[in-house]
Amino acid sequence: MPELPEKTQTIAAPLTIKDLNTENPRWCIGCGDFGVLMGFKRFLVEGQILPHQTVNVSGIGCSGRVPFYVNTYGVHAIHGRPITIAMGLALARPDLKLFIHAGDGDALSIGGNHLIHGIHKNFNCVFILYDNQLYALTKSQSSPTTRKGHPTNTQPQGTALDPIAPTRFALGIGASFVASTADWLPDHFVSTLKAACAHKGFSFVHVLQRCPHFDPENFDNKTSAWFSFLTHEKGVPADKRLAGKTGIVSHDPSNHEEAFRLASSQRTYFGLFYRNPGKLCYDELIRTRIKEAKPLPRSGILDSYKI
Amino acid sequence: MQSKTVNNVRVGRFELLMDAGFGAQKAGDILIRAFARMGKYVFIEPTIPAEISPPVRTRAALSGVIIRVAEFDLENIGNNTDVILASHEIVLDRRLDDEEHNPSCRVLLDMGDKALPMSDYDRVMKRVKDSGLSIYPFEIVPEAQAIIKSLAGKARNMYYLGMLGCIYSAPEEFVINEIKLTFGTKLREDVFKKNIDLFHYGYQYAEDNVPFAYEVKNASGKNGHEKILIDGNSALGMGVVDAGIRLVSGYPITPASSILHTLAKVFPSFGGILHQAEDEISAIGTAIGAYYGGVPALTCTSGPGLSLKQEFIGYAAAAEIPVIIIDVQRSGPSTGMPTKTEQSDLLSVIFGSHGDNAKIVLGVYDIIDCFYAPQLARYLAEKLRLPVFIMSDFQTANSYKVLDKPRIFEMKDSNDIDEFILDHFGLQRLPEHIEMVRTEQAVPGTPGKMRRVTGLNTDQTGKVNYFSMASQRSHAVRNEKVHRVQRALKKPELFGGREEGDVLIVGWGSAKGAVEEAVSYCQNQGLAVGGMCLRFVNPLPLMLTEIFSKFKKVVTVELAYGDPCKRPPLAMLLRDHALVDVQPLISRVTGRPVTPRSIETKVKELFYAGVA
Repeated sequence: MPELPEKTQTIAAPLTIKDLNTENPRWCIGCGDFGVLMGFKRFLVEGQILPHQTVNVSGIGCSGRVPFYVNTYGVHAIHGRPITIAMGLALARPDLKLFIHAGDGDALSIGGNHLIHGIHKNFNCVFILYDNQLYALTKSQSSPTTRKGHPTNTQPQGTALDPIAPTRFALGIGASFVASTADWLPDHFVSTLKAACAHKGFSFVHVLQRCPHFDPENFDNKTSAWFSFLTHEKGVPADKRLAGKTGIVSHDPSNHEEAFRLASSQRTYFGLFYRNPGKLCYDELIRTRIKEAKPLPRSGILDSYKI
Repeated sequence: MQSKTVNNVRVGRFELLMDAGFGAQKAGDILIRAFARMGKYVFIEPTIPAEISPPVRTRAALSGVIIRVAEFDLENIGNNTDVILASHEIVLDRRLDDEEHNPSCRVLLDMGDKALPMSDYDRVMKRVKDSGLSIYPFEIVPEAQAIIKSLAGKARNMYYLGMLGCIYSAPEEFVINEIKLTFGTKLREDVFKKNIDLFHYGYQYAEDNVPFAYEVKNASGKNGHEKILIDGNSALGMGVVDAGIRLVSGYPITPASSILHTLAKVFPSFGGILHQAEDEISAIGTAIGAYYGGVPALTCTSGPGLSLKQEFIGYAAAAEIPVIIIDVQRSGPSTGMPTKTEQSDLLSVIFGSHGDNAKIVLGVYDIIDCFYAPQLARYLAEKLRLPVFIMSDFQTANSYKVLDKPRIFEMKDSNDIDEFILDHFGLQRLPEHIEMVRTEQAVPGTPGKMRRVTGLNTDQTGKVNYFSMASQRSHAVRNEKVHRVQRALKKPELFGGREEGDVLIVGWGSAKGAVEEAVSYCQNQGLAVGGMCLRFVNPLPLMLTEIFSKFKKVVTVELAYGDPCKRPPLAMLLRDHALVDVQPLISRVTGRPVTPRSIETKVKELFYAGVA
């Protein structure tokens, strides 16, 4: 670890949203990313998470720009690979708080392999999947989560295949934390991030994100009958503003089988599907091995080659 | 037996050829350790098939060792073989195709199981005789055959070890001592004894029946330095530790994997993280992530992996995150020949990734360079915040040699680089301040200096900027970092001190040993031949034009493809750089290292043809 100035334990003033602002985002009017960005800043402020100890890592896409708009450390990486960069930071700098921001194309298409292994390695980070169900920055192509039949510039006759269900995918790989929320549910979004951040391991957070420019109908944020909240004393509470207007399902997040059933259903659920605090974390394991290894002086590195 | 002819030589070369999986390399390893302890210099090159266990008694199964032993320090595997010991006719037949034997080479052929058709043996023995070599067929003595049978056909390598030990005049007790050190604790006592018995039977057989022997002089005037025996990839691995690199991230690929293997055993003891990534792209991404976090990191790979990493290499340059990449070159293109050597990644390393490229590329001469290169790479990567390549190859990675124990520096940070390392690689210390595209380069965790990095173009403040002048500036700043290194490069050594003449031979990286030796042959014969070998291939030293202008002809030696219509990579680069009609002298892709004698022959052809 590099030598850093002593941690400033007493911050002169508490962290505010203003401290986190940088420049005005270059997103389309009505983009769901605004909601996620605002929710993310609110989460940092409510948790008083120190910006200089936070790193946002992203890939390419509309959501890839998030790091620029939050005044923390950040890496805007290449398409599909933010998990690989975050892996390096998790191994090298366990003192930092890591957030990965990736779109559906970034995470499930070009970067699918890394997502499998990020989940499998269960290294400590919060992974936020911005799912607007298409490629937007490249102007409307089908993605792995585009709903069947939806026309795009690459499949004008309608997207051919059934979409991948991200939460089911994550549960299938063995994720230790799987939750789902939406850009237009600020309270629920913040509560979900808090639960994700409190979990040690790879916290997979699926966020439904509106894209009014290319697909105004992808998610209906005016009505709420099409989704239910999953709630539990160990889970995430339902969004306050919508409580009573939609279904609430009590679900114990330690029940993997039930989580898988819910994630596989045609109905949309928001809330905590699954959490397993006992899953081994690869980054922690590597550090333990180093701690347990017999320390050797560098001056002796060639001793075993002597003749 | 008629009386034994003992050849007293300063240098010799011999080979043991067997089927893969039967311990040829192990036998070779034991023998060179014994030689080293006796005070000789050795250089060993294993021949390894790309598969784990190819079917025995097939051409694909050839696995063996080539050993060069001398009274003086060796920089390469040398020229031609004096003695070949082959466990059967098929591996011998295969190896003869490479034409690396002496005209007077002596071939010992195990006649093996008599049940096999003799016609095959006869054909290969005829080939040996027709090539003018002498053939010495032999059979393993019945007592030894019985032991081998009891060990399920294994351990015949110990018999061959005995024969070669005797032929090369290694006292039995020296070799037995090495066998003990190698197997002592790993084998059951009875099995160990059988191995020793086999060695003894082989030694005795050669003593009584082989009519020739070689006595290689021991190094005179020992310099008192401690000696080590090490291969190129282990030297790189230990060099990584000495350079204070704290994270190594890789994906299995021949011939780079053994760097990971070596480090996996010891790295945690030095606080290092050895990470096996899910793919080549992830491996470099993780190294970049760690370096962004302020922790020195490196990734190692070979050709196919290099292709996969290219996007991230360009990213690291643009985002100004340091990263070190080791490329252990193998024969390409595509999967090519994974266990054969080549130098043909040169252009894809220098010009790879898309858009303009700024990076530093350093080729290692030899095993000692492997040990020191990580320190220089770290210095340059952190100072310039650019990708830095260390280019090795299959030959360097897998060869072993005895060398004076290198100095250990325990590098703390990039400013801690020792003058010795800079001198060794012919580089002057870079200026204290070097301009970056972005002024602020703080490490995460530093309060009040939060910053975002990106592959998008930015201005000095780090803000994304697509305006014309901002892009022009970023390119200029990145390239100026490379130019600074170019201006700091000292004049490369001219072999034998010859600064002018008829022909100048230029190589890069591991061609050094062969080029230097070839130049000395030529100079000893009074030919006006000079030679040099480049370590830095990007940037190239500024004074090449002037050096080239003092020779009538400049030629390259490189293990990359070239023909009259296609110039090989180094020749291409040098022509562009120096505006001189550089032609390839050797541009081969046989997968075999270049030999000093083949260079000498080609140079002489130039003189006979009146070209030089």
